[in-house]
Amino acid sequence: MPSSTIAEKKERLPVLVEKPIPLEFDMGNLCAFDTNPLDPTTYSSSLEECLNNAARDCAQALINQVLTTLPMKSAFDGVYAELPDPVTPLPREKPLPKAKEPTKWELFAKKKGIKAKTKDGKLVYDEEKGEWVPKWGYKGKNKDDEGDWIVEVDGKKERERGEDRNPRALSREERKDRIKKNERQMKKNEKRAVVGGKSLAIRNGRVGKR
Amino acid sequence: MIRTLKPRNARSKRALEAREPKLVENQKNTLFLSGTSTSDLTRSAMTDIHSLKKPNAIKFTKKNSIHPFEDAAPLEFFSSKNDTSFLVFASHSKKRPHNLTFARTFDHRILDMLELGIDESTFRPLTFFKTSKPGIGMKPLLSFSGAIFDSIPNYQLFKSMFLDFFRGETVDSINVEGLQYMIHFSAPESTEQNPTPTIHMRVHMIKTLKSGQKLPRVEVEEMGPRMDFKIRRVQEPDEAMMKEALKKPRALEARSKKNIETDIIGDKIGRIHTGKQDFGKMQSRKMKGLKRRPTDDADEEMTLVDEDEDNSAKKARLA
Repeated sequence: MPSSTIAEKKERLPVLVEKPIPLEFDMGNLCAFDTNPLDPTTYSSSLEECLNNAARDCAQALINQVLTTLPMKSAFDGVYAELPDPVTPLPREKPLPKAKEPTKWELFAKKKGIKAKTKDGKLVYDEEKGEWVPKWGYKGKNKDDEGDWIVEVDGKKERERGEDRNPRALSREERKDRIKKNERQMKKNEKRAVVGGKSLAIRNGRVGKR
Repeated sequence: MIRTLKPRNARSKRALEAREPKLVENQKNTLFLSGTSTSDLTRSAMTDIHSLKKPNAIKFTKKNSIHPFEDAAPLEFFSSKNDTSFLVFASHSKKRPHNLTFARTFDHRILDMLELGIDESTFRPLTFFKTSKPGIGMKPLLSFSGAIFDSIPNYQLFKSMFLDFFRGETVDSINVEGLQYMIHFSAPESTEQNPTPTIHMRVHMIKTLKSGQKLPRVEVEEMGPRMDFKIRRVQEPDEAMMKEALKKPRALEARSKKNIETDIIGDKIGRIHTGKQDFGKMQSRKMKGLKRRPTDDADEEMTLVDEDEDNSAKKARLA
């Protein structure tokens, strides 16, 4: 480089940082690591000036790094620099999330090779009424037998449950029992999941007030 | 027994879910606590660090009878209650005046702790410097000057801790005008007389001046707080816990794509495999003269003529 341009640059205030050991950067964290030692003479004589110079050099180097190496994108509210992923290894706050524990049924289905049924909607065609009705819930198809004024008595079932039970209520009771059974199974699965992959927030109890 | 808690409504369910471990983590929150006795200086230092950390910080005002290096259980309790993985604990005693303890947790258990003594004579609060201050929640520039941050374990821990503490949110892109301030940590080399040198923390506003060149000239102006730290007691991270904490999620790793490469210059090169080309079927330029005649005789004649020409050419070359 010709000497005239160097003189010109010095006049113009230098914008490049020249250090014996080049600085390292972690642009994901906007961080510079300057491993050059602080100047021992100015450090002992005028500390603040020494630190100020070191800080200025770091700031200049960082800004240069942002403006020269990072891809820029302009938006309506300014120019954006796209940051790479951070490289300095820093600890996480919480462990990696665990995969959801499979339920007992899912385990069994996998063992037996049972594929999940395709969902074919909530509605089903009722031929008697000639319209589409929900499979369960309000006016659901699964409650069809419950309002019958005459019911067939299953001798075997009646012996099991005792003869004093109202045979007309049997259908509803059975349905309610199925719901309860399902809830029991759900709770069991949840318990198994908690013991397996302890969910932190739940383990620690209530959400505290700030 | 493990107490399971079922959220009663959607709001508490969301609050619980926000605390669950995540693949891409949120910014770490900080809790500021004070011990049974504190000094004006530590309180002021804590206020200043709190204002740099806002809005991802909570500050408690009541006194707490906690001794982090003797029993860290209360800190773990506060960490899990408030979902903060950074704790800053201020204390002041005759033995350890103007003390700040920085603790980091993993899974709401103490990962590492660093006790720092603030130098009384050089401390200057944020309000001492009459300059403009950065907006709340701005991502700072960070810098560490001195080889000591790479060589001595306690100083390595300091670097890791403070980089983690001040780095703010991990973002894809940042507005260049948002680069407003820089936090600078520096320490001289350790010598025989002074094996544990002071760490200087200085916070500067950044000013960019026109330099007449493409890059701007950067100047710094101190905005405070100004703190000089001496490292006191340290609790190194447990190796197994640190290993667990440094795990990277598999799902976030970029899958290498087949046949796409980037060379040293940064150009993307793709390889495409095509089947073997059949030149016989290839359509070349159509010309009337090259049209195939319907009769076979004509074709034969043509080839004969060609051969004759070839032969004569060879003869000519030989002669």
